Amino acid sequence: MQRFATAAMGTRFELVLAAGGGDPVAAGEAALAEIHECHARFSRFAADSLVSHIARSGAARAVRLDRHTFELFADALAVWRASEGAFDITVAPLMAVHGHGASAVGSSRRTGSERLELDEERWTITVRGADVGLDFGAIAKGHALDLAAAVLRDAGVTAALMHGGTSSVVAIGAPEGARGWPVAVKLGASRRTLVLRDAALSVSDPSSHTGSAGAPHVMDPRADAPVSRSRPVAVQGPSARLCDAWSTALAVLGRTPDGFPGGYTAIFETTTP
Amino acid sequence: MTMPSDRRTFLAQSLGALAGVALLPHAMDAAPLWQGTPRKMALIGAGRQGRAILTELLNIPVVEVAAICDVVPARAEAAAGRLKGAETFTDHRALLEKRPDVEAVFVATPTHLHRGIVEDALQAGRHVFCESPLASTIDDARGIAAAAAASKQVCHAGFQGRSNPMYRRAQRLMLTELRDLVSMRAQWNRKTSWRFPAPEGLSARDANWRLDPEVSLGLPGEVGAQQFDVAHWYRGAYPVRVSGRGAVRLHNDGRKVADTVSLDLEWADGISLRYDATLANSFGSQYEVFSGANGTIQLAWSHGWLFKEADAPTQGWEVYATRQQVLNDEGIVLLADATKLAAQGELKAGAGLPHSSLYYALADFVKSVTEGAPVACSAEEGARATIVGILAHEAVVSGRTIDIPSFG
Repeated sequence: MQRFATAAMGTRFELVLAAGGGDPVAAGEAALAEIHECHARFSRFAADSLVSHIARSGAARAVRLDRHTFELFADALAVWRASEGAFDITVAPLMAVHGHGASAVGSSRRTGSERLELDEERWTITVRGADVGLDFGAIAKGHALDLAAAVLRDAGVTAALMHGGTSSVVAIGAPEGARGWPVAVKLGASRRTLVLRDAALSVSDPSSHTGSAGAPHVMDPRADAPVSRSRPVAVQGPSARLCDAWSTALAVLGRTPDGFPGGYTAIFETTTP
Repeated sequence: MTMPSDRRTFLAQSLGALAGVALLPHAMDAAPLWQGTPRKMALIGAGRQGRAILTELLNIPVVEVAAICDVVPARAEAAAGRLKGAETFTDHRALLEKRPDVEAVFVATPTHLHRGIVEDALQAGRHVFCESPLASTIDDARGIAAAAAASKQVCHAGFQGRSNPMYRRAQRLMLTELRDLVSMRAQWNRKTSWRFPAPEGLSARDANWRLDPEVSLGLPGEVGAQQFDVAHWYRGAYPVRVSGRGAVRLHNDGRKVADTVSLDLEWADGISLRYDATLANSFGSQYEVFSGANGTIQLAWSHGWLFKEADAPTQGWEVYATRQQVLNDEGIVLLADATKLAAQGELKAGAGLPHSSLYYALADFVKSVTEGAPVACSAEEGARATIVGILAHEAVVSGRTIDIPSFG
């Protein structure tokens, strides 16, 4: 087995390659490079990131996106609609107000994904209003893992496990002789082991981190405030970025709404500590 | 410390107003305004650097990437799939022949393949942006410069420092703030093997041409040349000799190309640039440092700082400048687009450039093509910087001190 690790998106990404890939070192490093590209594009703290560029220019003119980024926005807006607004990538101002960092483009912003307009014909985004702040913190790790997994598969890797900050996981194939990759999941006081094979997993526990003001790191955009009551939750499914977005949405909602997609499984905390 | 927004705005606007004399470049340096209908251009070479170029071109609305060429069909199609409507080719000559509407090409193939493509494109009447270094041999570098000189088309060498607003700003400060230059040093540190997966249709050797001693310029030529060129530009002169050494310190995979190098490039006046690069450690990443009797400028592509000596004359604008503590020294943060940011109330302490260094080089090229702007880094300048890189690599490989010919 080959192991790789890197620091990105304010956390540690790790990768274990178990099988496949003509040159495992090259494959592993290419996957990590993809994660770093995502970090550079979606950081709200860097002036030269795509997020900062959209914040600066998106209200004045349509900003062109590549296909991967357009699909990320499309997924983010789809989850926002299906979750009744519980997941929202325009949550940056709320995060800043509650001590989770100031963005590189100011902090006096308002929340509301209805102000993002995607053009499916031209792959562009327009922001309605100059005061929208984007935060991809609840979906970028999963997006990076999806792209990194695609790089590994292209390189011929048939068995690998990757995680970002232990809260977002992608499994490719299975180690030799195993059904899949065993992953222990702790939700509040309950603990279980899931076996992942060609699947992703994301865990959201709003009480696990707090900002400088002592507020939980998960916001409820509907209330314009950090979540007050929440349930730790894990979401398993094919796409890491959708698992990421939905785990945040479900932690805020405390239930699965009608719009929760087929092919995904939600696992809520079953024991109250 | 969080500053009240009204006070921050006041200071930012004061900075913008007062420091325009010395600290701030023209806002257009950092944020060009694009006007006009999109012009069709093409990418040749869709590896990692090619894809980075495509990403940056999305931010230049007057460019429409109409075609993508790569010898690996799957790579061309994957790159085209990221955009709307780009046609794919596996032979650059077919692209030049079948797409007469493409007026400019970005060449991002392996270094040793540049010359033929650049010559064909210029011959076909296309403007050319060629990634740095221009070539892997002195003959090829001179050949590209000669082809560009014989052509009426724009031929821009991708040495990014000359287009980077932070570096342009620092160039002016070199003259006003450092007084007598004392020394220069630079580094490029990454923790990576420099190995890449070979896509179907490409051999491992071709995919890893940077590790092929037959064609690779190693760390001095492939990455160092970009940084050496900043010193060439600032000094208005090229080094006269180079010595160096290198070894494989970490990646013991049978490679012959050193993963760690140290170099000294010496100018005619005895001032030298000390350079270190490694693939074995990432500490400090990439930067250049220029020290003079009155201060030191440190540049790191998107960021820059000026450290004044205690006995250096103080300029009026410094009172309002943003400062950062770096170990024992307090640095004045260089802000490349501060005038525009201040006008928008968006100036933040330590803010870097709003775009990548690559973007500014591409933007300069596009402005040359669409607006007739002067070429920021000509093929001749690119060829000279490339030759310095080639000779620096030769110094590492041979262990000898190499004289660098005068460029006249």
